[in-house]
Amino acid sequence: MEDWIIDLIKVVFIWVWCLLIAVVMTWVERRASAMMQDRLGPNRAGPFGLLQPLADGIKLFTKEEIIPEKAKKILYILGPALFAIPAFSAYAVVPFGDKIVIGGKEIILQVSDVNIGFLYVLAVGSMGVYGMVVGGWASNNKYSILGGLRSTAQLISYEVPMGLALLAVVLLYGTFSMREMVLAQQGTFLGFLPNWGIFKQPLGFLMFIVAAYAEAARVPFDLPEAESELVNGYHTEYGSMRLGLYLFGEYVNLGTLSGIMVSIYFGGWQLPYIDMSAFLGPVSYGIASFLVFFLKQAFFLFLFVWVRWTVPRFRYDQLMGLGWKSLIPLCLVNFFITALLVQLTV
Amino acid sequence: MDLYFITFAVMAVGAGIFTISAREALASALGLLTVFVACAALYLHLHAPLIAIFQISIYAGAILVLVVFVIMLLMSPDDRLEVIQENMSYRIMGVFLVAAMIGLVVKALKDVKEHGAVSLPDGFGSPGQIGEFFFRDYLLHFEVASVLLLVALIAAIYLGKKKL
Repeated sequence: MEDWIIDLIKVVFIWVWCLLIAVVMTWVERRASAMMQDRLGPNRAGPFGLLQPLADGIKLFTKEEIIPEKAKKILYILGPALFAIPAFSAYAVVPFGDKIVIGGKEIILQVSDVNIGFLYVLAVGSMGVYGMVVGGWASNNKYSILGGLRSTAQLISYEVPMGLALLAVVLLYGTFSMREMVLAQQGTFLGFLPNWGIFKQPLGFLMFIVAAYAEAARVPFDLPEAESELVNGYHTEYGSMRLGLYLFGEYVNLGTLSGIMVSIYFGGWQLPYIDMSAFLGPVSYGIASFLVFFLKQAFFLFLFVWVRWTVPRFRYDQLMGLGWKSLIPLCLVNFFITALLVQLTV
Repeated sequence: MDLYFITFAVMAVGAGIFTISAREALASALGLLTVFVACAALYLHLHAPLIAIFQISIYAGAILVLVVFVIMLLMSPDDRLEVIQENMSYRIMGVFLVAAMIGLVVKALKDVKEHGAVSLPDGFGSPGQIGEFFFRDYLLHFEVASVLLLVALIAAIYLGKKKL
């Protein structure tokens, strides 16, 4: 097979996979929230209500597309696309498995193993804010503009601790390539722990996960949406599939962030203590590594839901205080400790 | 001339013109965003992926977000930019800026003509090499920039604290 066909298959596969995760996540979110609140949740469409997302999708697609009279038309249409495109493209450098051998050809299970993959994730992740801003601004509605305004300040504040937490990881592994980072987590650490990033960067992981929740604008940091004060903020005026793109984009973002956490802090596709490639064939190893990665990712996706229905929302000044006064100094401390340890051990 | 270069060069120039002529603040900012993205694409073409990523993450992801923040804080979607665009002093400043830019471009083109095409050294544009340049050849510049940032930081603390 030509290389470009393989690349195309990988891109299409990841695209469809992200969409599938987003679709299933809407169901998981509703069912899990119902479970936590002692309700039933959607359980009529299909077994366990699994076909509910399909019904929601049909509803969103067939609804009339309304553009508010006072809205800025072009920007209003552009908004959801600006939000969804970065969400879908960030996944390109996340390794979703080791490698698979088909027809004597070794295929790496990652869309693109660029040597600056890591910075790519940060760069593309920071572009998502424009979707919220444009949506809020174009709606020309006070609540929506407030939502957009909050999103700019929040995302720019939490990018700093996120970048600093990740920089410490770069120091540790000495590479920007996500695949090499996963490969560096083979074996054991201190003789009995799996050699995962979390055991070497516990503080860094804590900082990263808090910053990731803020970057994804999820509860407890969903200030741009804040349905009880801003009536859903930047997407108040949106309906039909445009609203659908915003909601989908959010879940795709969650998938990417979970993928990054798994790859950097939880050994990616590798099982602890067990080397799968030793007793599995080349094809089944590829599939197994993908499944292991997916299971870990699914845990973090569920954690997002779990936290959302457990913790109340922060106040805006608390959010800013946490970001600037706690996370950034702690990240700097973590960074210098890591630098010192790396210097002492090299 | 290759198609890739022409596509993104036209995109950058077109978006640049849109940036200064748009009547709405946020549309103008999005024009600037397009310029940054097009420039990043051109840097990729010049075998400098790290610079391209910095262009996106710093200019588009941080600086422009601050600009947008200010726009959203101070303007409403129905405000127009004509008043600012027709201000004569801005136009005169613009003329000087353009003249300086054209001078720079002409100088660069002359240098290219004198030296001709040069093949790239090994590892060109890799993060390691840029780091080496920073901390070996251009250490003084790097330190001066950091002192400048420190000054800005102290100023920000002074402004931020009500009582010192």
